[in-house]
Amino acid sequence: MRTLNRMIPTTRILTATGALALALLPTACKSKDKPPEGAEKAAEGDRGGAPQAGGEKPASGAGGAVTLNGSGSTFQKGYQEASIEEFGKASSEVTINYGGGGSGKGRQDLADMVVDFAGSDSAYKEPDLAKNKGGPVLYFPILLGPITLSYNIDGVDKLQLSPQTIAGIFQRDIKKWNDKAIAGDNPGAKLPDAAIVVVHRSDGSGTTDNFTKYLDAAAKGTWKLKSGSTVEWPADTQAGNGNAGVAQIVTSTQGAIGYVDLSDAKASGLKYASVKNQAGKYVEPTAESAQAAGDGIEVKDDLLFSALDPKGDGSYPITYQSWVIVYAKQTDKARGEAVKSYLKYLLTDGQRLLPELDFAPLPKGLQDKAVAQLDKVQVAP
Amino acid sequence: MASEPFSLTGSGNRADTGFRWMAIGAASLVLLILGLIALTMTNRSLPVLSRMGLDFFTTRRWSAPDGLFGALPFIWGTLYTAVIAVALAVPVSLAVALFITQVAPPLLKRPLVYVIDLLAVVPSVVFGLWGVLVLSGRIQRVYDRVHEGVAAMPGFLIPVIVLAIGAGLLLTSRRSLVGWVLAVGGLLLLLYFLVSGRSIPPLVFGPAAQGRSFATAGVILAIMIVPIITSLAREVIETTPATDKEAALALGATRWEMIQASVFPHSKGGLVGAVMLGLGRAMGETIAAALVIGSSLGQVTLDMFASGNSMPAVIANEWGEAESLHKSALIALAVTLFLITIVVNLIASAVVRRSMARSAGRA
Amino acid sequence: MTGMEPTPATALDLSARLSWRVAKNALMTALMVLAFLVVAVPLVAILWSVIGKGMSTAFAGFPDFFIKEIPVVSRRPGPGMGPAILGTLMVTGAATLLAVPIGILGAVYLHEYGVTSKFARLVRFMAMVMTGVPSIVMGLFVYIVWTLRTGYSAFGGALALACLMLPVVIGSTEQMLKLVPAHLREAAYALGASKSRTIMTVVLPAALPGIVSGSLLAIARAAGETAPLLFALGAATAYNPHLFDGASTALSVQIFANANTSFVGSQERAWGAALTLVFLTFFITLVARIFTSRLALKR
Repeated sequence: MRTLNRMIPTTRILTATGALALALLPTACKSKDKPPEGAEKAAEGDRGGAPQAGGEKPASGAGGAVTLNGSGSTFQKGYQEASIEEFGKASSEVTINYGGGGSGKGRQDLADMVVDFAGSDSAYKEPDLAKNKGGPVLYFPILLGPITLSYNIDGVDKLQLSPQTIAGIFQRDIKKWNDKAIAGDNPGAKLPDAAIVVVHRSDGSGTTDNFTKYLDAAAKGTWKLKSGSTVEWPADTQAGNGNAGVAQIVTSTQGAIGYVDLSDAKASGLKYASVKNQAGKYVEPTAESAQAAGDGIEVKDDLLFSALDPKGDGSYPITYQSWVIVYAKQTDKARGEAVKSYLKYLLTDGQRLLPELDFAPLPKGLQDKAVAQLDKVQVAP
Repeated sequence: MASEPFSLTGSGNRADTGFRWMAIGAASLVLLILGLIALTMTNRSLPVLSRMGLDFFTTRRWSAPDGLFGALPFIWGTLYTAVIAVALAVPVSLAVALFITQVAPPLLKRPLVYVIDLLAVVPSVVFGLWGVLVLSGRIQRVYDRVHEGVAAMPGFLIPVIVLAIGAGLLLTSRRSLVGWVLAVGGLLLLLYFLVSGRSIPPLVFGPAAQGRSFATAGVILAIMIVPIITSLAREVIETTPATDKEAALALGATRWEMIQASVFPHSKGGLVGAVMLGLGRAMGETIAAALVIGSSLGQVTLDMFASGNSMPAVIANEWGEAESLHKSALIALAVTLFLITIVVNLIASAVVRRSMARSAGRA
Repeated sequence: MTGMEPTPATALDLSARLSWRVAKNALMTALMVLAFLVVAVPLVAILWSVIGKGMSTAFAGFPDFFIKEIPVVSRRPGPGMGPAILGTLMVTGAATLLAVPIGILGAVYLHEYGVTSKFARLVRFMAMVMTGVPSIVMGLFVYIVWTLRTGYSAFGGALALACLMLPVVIGSTEQMLKLVPAHLREAAYALGASKSRTIMTVVLPAALPGIVSGSLLAIARAAGETAPLLFALGAATAYNPHLFDGASTALSVQIFANANTSFVGSQERAWGAALTLVFLTFFITLVARIFTSRLALKR
């Protein structure tokens, strides 16, 4: 990346000293509430003694601007945006841009080294890993969240769906709202004789990946479209760009149903269905029911896991997770440090922002593992 | 005009050669860029083309997980929406151009020309914004009405209407191409109805009308290209020599006869060029189409009210995909789009040149 | 079309009954008026929406909308399109600096040097082909040859726009050079001026108003382009004054992104941005018109 080579010297010095301070005082940083602030303070204390300065006068802290670019998952975009705002208040010298575009785009951009970090709701495929220009990557889980089945039919304010019915609707076996299968899930409800308009994602999406993985698991035998970040939807369905794009079609189309993450669905004022979980209970998607789903998950060493179709009475079944992916070796000192401190913010202080955005924070055990993994991010000296 | 005195001696010669080479260099840049586009794009689309072969252009399945890429639905969507757009836009644009040049009072003419020229530069994304936020939610009801209305009609009515319009046009002028097309088409539809008992509605107006569909994309593209075609058509029409028009009027022709006898023959080539330019615009338009077409996969249907997809819209929406083969497929789509627009442009310039040569030859 | 060639005679058949002919004329005139109304309705509706919805957003707490940064939390209502306005100006400005001089030089070659040589004909033909390249194709092309190597930057977007503008500028400039009377050139040669000097001091100044007007129209069109910028700019929400460095954004890209959401706040910003962009393109077009009318005076 061009920008890597165009760092102005003062930035290098400032962040070099910052890095040195971090190396000397690993505890200083961890104990502080706001990591970037801590790093800066430590850097200021150590500035005079830094031999790398090479006689040049270090500029003021405001001159050492670093810009980080991220792209990918629109599922975690709400959290990213809120965090960027809060994080920016604490450390004004780091500017962060997060463009959505879908998990697929995020992973590809990171592989091409167009961005510094990727937001993704699913992992790289094994054969694609070798194509990453920057070497091995690390996965940092940052949140859990439910995928809702948002719908728009006048007169129906409560809807319950079983996995088999959802599968039937999305592969167009069920075409009317008063179909027997839907009526079976909703005893006593008045359902209109209206056509169903199925809305899905048009971009490569982790939401699609997880939604179809869920149907693959929970509606085994019924679901035929397989799973993936894009699947081969039937021809007579509509697609929107990003979670908000799907939400928009649902809001403007009578009879529409689509899968949208809870955060975007709520912000768009959509109605959404309760979904039958493994224990046979219909559960409404909320931050709490998503956290309940996260309690019993198994986590691998690389912090990859799935929160889909969990056990437990109170857990919402279509709960999924999102990661931030970064390269293990950060070749640019300033950016590497900025990436690290932003990650730390996402994993610790930022977590309190999540419930407000209708996401679930990480379970404690997982959070600890993720914070510990921060040490594996190596920043070039 | 030249403020400095000319120098008659010195290094003028060398500067002259330098300037000449600079100009040649600038001109060559066009070739260089086009060459680079052709080279890099073709190169990048080879993986998918070598895998899919010609199936890329003829299959309907587009499935990244399976590594299957058939561009047919998107090629179809691009052509279909462009044809709807042109069919809607051309008659109106020509009529408006005639209105401005021949009918409108002089006082109104200048402002109208200004307004049309201004509208021609309204960014397409603005049309798309209006299409997606205002039009697509409301037009669904209109489609439903149209569909219900058409379905309620007796099956023979539409073929008969088409036939009647065609015959009417042929009565006024036996050389009317549109007239022939409509008459023959209406006849065929009537035969189809008599044989099968089915009329055109289920084919063109499907059962579940969608707010985002081929028709909506066609409408938005039409609104977008109307000012462009009108603006060009007006310029072409205005080159009709006043003497020609006055001659017709002096013979006692009405205004419409004057237009038929003087304006049309004179500006035919230019008008066809304007229409083809509008067609090229409509096919290459990304954003407006991407917002309102519905982004469905695998739609190859005449049903205007069904949602579909077009090549540029697919590229804009799916470029984020991770798989490199998928990317290659999108680039192959871009190459296909590029080739189709080139063909349209070539036909346009050939038509313009031929009709100009013909009108010059007859003189 | 020069407008001077005689029109082929088409039979003017006046044999039909006069009342029928008059009726037909009235019918056709009515159809033209009707077509005008049919066209006016959606176009007025669009401008109405853009102005109506755009004004309330763009001028609420003036001038916040035009200078504040874009809210990082996209679903939040409130102002801010400043970085997009700067981005549009930077991208379009850089594209102009690239495309206009090169385009004028290219046209000078075509009309003053090459004229009917094989190479000139090839270039003219290819420039015509290049005008037809869909803007999204140009966007992909620039992404592959530039963005993949250098990362997001405003300059990448400028490159894509410049590629789109180049053939348009060449075409319109060549038309204008054709209008420069040959006796001006001959007079300069007679004074002993070299060819390059004649072009620089006589031909180009004579054609200047037309060239400016043609270039401005190309710029107005480029300023509104979205597709070529989609892949090159990235997604900045803060001001980025660096042309070559880092993610940027533009009004058109913001409209597209915000039109795609279901949040009232971002949709409002899309309308505000649309109003700003429409105003910008109208302004450039009107300036072009003024140059055109000056040209008319000169002639």
